Amino acid sequence: MKNPLKARWMSSLIFLIALFVITGIIAPSFLDYTNIINCFNTATMYTLLAVGIAFVIMTGEIDVSIGATLGLTAGMTGLIAQQGGSIPKMLAVVLLTGAVIGLVNGLGVAYFGVPSLIFTLGTNSVIRGLIYLMSDGRTVENFGGVFAGLNSMTVFAGISVYYAIALVLVAVAHIVLTRTRKGKYFIAVGDNAGGANLVGISVFGTKVLAYVLCGLFAGMGGFVFASKYGQVMTVAGNGYEMTAIAACVLGGISLSGGMGNMVGAAIGAVIMSSISRLLVFIGLPSTYNNTITGVMLIVIVVVDALAQRRSIEMTRRKRLLSRTAEPTPEGGAKA
Amino acid sequence: MKNMLKKVFKHWEVFLVVFLVLEFVVFGTANPKFLRTKSIMNSIVNYISVCIISLFVTMVMITGGIDIQAPSIIGLTSIIIGVLWSDAGLNIWLSVAIALVAAALCGALSGFFVAFCGVQPMVVTLGGSFLYSGIALMISGMSATPAYQGISGFPGKNEAGEYISFRFLGKGDVFGIPTQIIIYVVLILLCAWILHRTKYGERLFLIGVNQQASEYSGINTRATIMSTYVLSALSAGLAGVLVTSNVNSAKYDLGSGYTLAIITAVVLGGTLNTGGKGSILGTVLASLIICFLRYGLPLCFGVSTQNLDLPIGIILVLVVVGLEIAGQHMLSSLFRRFKK
Amino acid sequence: MTMKTATAPRLQVKGIRKAFGQNVVLKGIDLSVDAGEVVALIGGNGAGKSTLMKIIMGIYTCDEGEILLDGQPVKLGKASASLAHGIYLVPQEPMLFPNMTVLENILMGFNEREADLRKRLVDCMAELNFTLNLQRKANTLSIAEQQMVELLRGMMRNARILILDEPTSSLTFNEVQALFKTVEDLKKKGIAIIYITHRLTEVFEIATKVAIMRDGVITLEGAVKDFTKEMLIQGLLPGGTEETCIKEEQCAPLDYRHLKPVLEVKDFSGYGFAHCTFNLYPGEILGIAGVVGAGRTELISTIFGRDKTLGGQVLLDGKDITGLSTKQILRAGINFVPEDRHYHGIFKIRSISSNTTSALLNDEEVGKVNMNNRKQREIADKYAKEFRTKIVSLDDLMGSLSGGNQQKVVIARALSTHPKVVILDEPTRGIDAAARGDVYNIIRQLKEAGVAVLMVSSDMEEVMELADRAITVFQGRINGEFSREEITQDTLTSAAFGIAHERKVSGE
Repeated sequence: MKNPLKARWMSSLIFLIALFVITGIIAPSFLDYTNIINCFNTATMYTLLAVGIAFVIMTGEIDVSIGATLGLTAGMTGLIAQQGGSIPKMLAVVLLTGAVIGLVNGLGVAYFGVPSLIFTLGTNSVIRGLIYLMSDGRTVENFGGVFAGLNSMTVFAGISVYYAIALVLVAVAHIVLTRTRKGKYFIAVGDNAGGANLVGISVFGTKVLAYVLCGLFAGMGGFVFASKYGQVMTVAGNGYEMTAIAACVLGGISLSGGMGNMVGAAIGAVIMSSISRLLVFIGLPSTYNNTITGVMLIVIVVVDALAQRRSIEMTRRKRLLSRTAEPTPEGGAKA
Repeated sequence: MKNMLKKVFKHWEVFLVVFLVLEFVVFGTANPKFLRTKSIMNSIVNYISVCIISLFVTMVMITGGIDIQAPSIIGLTSIIIGVLWSDAGLNIWLSVAIALVAAALCGALSGFFVAFCGVQPMVVTLGGSFLYSGIALMISGMSATPAYQGISGFPGKNEAGEYISFRFLGKGDVFGIPTQIIIYVVLILLCAWILHRTKYGERLFLIGVNQQASEYSGINTRATIMSTYVLSALSAGLAGVLVTSNVNSAKYDLGSGYTLAIITAVVLGGTLNTGGKGSILGTVLASLIICFLRYGLPLCFGVSTQNLDLPIGIILVLVVVGLEIAGQHMLSSLFRRFKK
Repeated sequence: MTMKTATAPRLQVKGIRKAFGQNVVLKGIDLSVDAGEVVALIGGNGAGKSTLMKIIMGIYTCDEGEILLDGQPVKLGKASASLAHGIYLVPQEPMLFPNMTVLENILMGFNEREADLRKRLVDCMAELNFTLNLQRKANTLSIAEQQMVELLRGMMRNARILILDEPTSSLTFNEVQALFKTVEDLKKKGIAIIYITHRLTEVFEIATKVAIMRDGVITLEGAVKDFTKEMLIQGLLPGGTEETCIKEEQCAPLDYRHLKPVLEVKDFSGYGFAHCTFNLYPGEILGIAGVVGAGRTELISTIFGRDKTLGGQVLLDGKDITGLSTKQILRAGINFVPEDRHYHGIFKIRSISSNTTSALLNDEEVGKVNMNNRKQREIADKYAKEFRTKIVSLDDLMGSLSGGNQQKVVIARALSTHPKVVILDEPTRGIDAAARGDVYNIIRQLKEAGVAVLMVSSDMEEVMELADRAITVFQGRINGEFSREEITQDTLTSAAFGIAHERKVSGE
């Protein structure tokens, strides 16, 4: 179990490195420390979203409202900043908002049993509407001060404060998921909800928790968004949910649940956000961005699916063939 | 009471009809202008992409799949028509034909990956939506017309000011009924026939309920599943043709923003997202309900057209939650248990 | 029922009622289990056994009634609550985490240290005589192996009340014996066991008490020693009907000299079996015996075009059908009743008529392009009447039927294509005694109609009762062939376990 999983996120990492190396070969100027570290720094938002939604995807559900959640919390951050509110206040508000949205999604899905795609589609629209009401249909702008400066602050070696925090969160999430008993519940619920229930795991609780975590991460993403762009349009975050899902898929998280790893999600996020930067260096127009993302996504998932199917098929066949090998005194049925 | 509820929920479409009638009553009372036939038909024309595509996405979802790439194909078809006609100088109908073939190929490609490679449909069509919108943008870059402007000037209008040729599709009318609505009605009948009356339709349902058991029944599940993606891509292509003709502009991003709307229409129409259950009538009713909400809310209650998401979202959430509470809760939790 | 007044029973349920909508499943159940007692709970599918167990396990809540543990009323609304009270259910359909390893599967949901758990697990496995690679992923396990994992889970939880829901339905002979030994041990340890089964012989082997459930009530209850097999069968049958199901009706033996084989399998190899050669004659029932995992299912499903062929030939009426697709093989005249009804057999949320005719969609019998609904219903109706399938309406969902009736519909589907050869994989797995009798009658009728039947079964009694001839498969090879006279429990079992190589078919 451990080896193939490891192999899966490792292959994402290798893919990321390969992307950088190929770009470097075409345009040597790319292989500059600042450039590469910037690829990571700009991935902050997607990293937060991807890690958040990864919890939900692992339990076998989906959340397409995170883009809207990001937009809403970004707008809130902006409004508070306009009024000169403090950063702790902003954080409290975005986290609370994210958690509440997550709770609503979680209850809708886990308590009322509405299919998650449908329910979060609904909340997505509602949140988009709330953004409009909140901002009166106008772009929230003209805020800044200390808050805007945060985005360009670095911790060490060019790593931005935000990305450093995101990395810590990824690490914590990873350890919780792989090393703790309860952390494994997320995967277990996604793998077989009925079975999880039978061994005493609360499917309801686990799913709600996953959604709340997802909302919290989206809220943080909103804070970063506001800080980064200094203005929040009503459509802010539109389509980010798809990018985050794509990042998870690239990182080897199965959309049917029960499989995956936080490190993979984080790597996937870097890949997704780096594409446009890489294109600039390769000298392709930015109009190629979606095409390349699409090709990459499809190729990776298809190769992944085929490889996985092949390996399952091969083990099955090997086992079956070993049964019919010349009869041995000890029965081979359970080999 | 419980019995009555059960009966109603057994036929989800009944509920949708009631809702639709209620819409007419409420909007009609609030503002009698709402009831003008011409405006009503216009509102459908404005929402035609979602209406048409959702019919075919219903079939995809009945097999247990999902298609979120269709909107990107709207833009792709549109820009192909524009570039072939305007920049390559091809005949407009030939351009349309080529664009539709391209749309079908896109569907076939995604369908192939879903059906034959066993990749999750959500992922493939997510990739497809990036890919096809990307290709559309690239093609747009080949045109002499800047991408943001859109290629215009399609044929045609006769001296009497009537729309003819290509523009007849999107702007013309027959006895006062817009061509688009006639096409929509024809497609509804076609889809209802395919899904509910043919053996092909029966196969779609069976595959959605249990693909393995379908294989044991000798059904070629892979080819069938793939075909649904081709059909939905074709419908998106057709929507692209109609929209291009209607707005007299070929643009690469004509379909953007429809993804969630289409899925909403299908699921609100009662199609089970795990497959195996659904109806064309339900999808049609649901699309119309959303369509009239978008038309009626600004007209009658002054809701800003930019902020239609909120009421529609609230209605969707209330409906699905209400549905679960009102008696399907047990049933759907059963489905969930058997899903694995 | 003898109530011990001195000590309260370990588990007691009183007046349990449960309805799903208008469907009343349990109509007031009273049942008690003492420590060290094995209560065999038998009853047809749809009798409400599983619902009762799910209530005890906390998966459902009951509408009325109470549950007492050691005399104290308890509230069990959640599985975790039941687990905390020491109740463990080994479900009939294993509920594993397919993407996790066996080890992770067993240890999921515990609060102890992993090292301790591992040690206990090793002990448990030794005690049970189970050999299983703990690092294998659950999705590579066979049903029997999955069942083993489920049993281990139960053992690991040191349950005080253990519910076994048809644990032996997919275990092999020595696995069953090992299980019985374990059950005996557990009994001695003072654990209360509820043992659900369809196999009456098992009742007398391990149970101390027996309870029969029918239509949501317990119709018969008492110490096992007070009952005979006949009395139990009587208790299972609906009131008023005489025992009609199992009759030893011997048809005249087939005269093979004048028969041409309809199906010839020559040196056939594939994944899981090798160099299989046998013939099947019209009007013959050929039993294929062997242990689970011997390659029987692989052999027949490869014939049906579900897997790749590695060598050899299959001829149907002299025509080569080797390696064709399932669709083509169906057309050629073979149909199949799969072992795993849920995964390969039924369309749960489609109507009964849809389920009956699903294999006809490639034929023109139900229409060319359009679906002929009238014809579809006609066909479904015909089989439902013929097979005495208990249905209310043909439009009812397949999922609303009991297992036995579902199986009848699946068999009807297999016959709907008018096949020359019908392949049955464990045709009576998990269905109750009455339905079993019906299925046997259907198989006999097929034989009379001249259809060739190939029947895989782990139930030796079944093979003895039905088969004209039997072959045994051991480690993927056919290692014995027995004529009707030669078929006995003894010969089949020993050949299935590879003990007596009476007529060993050459290997390479």
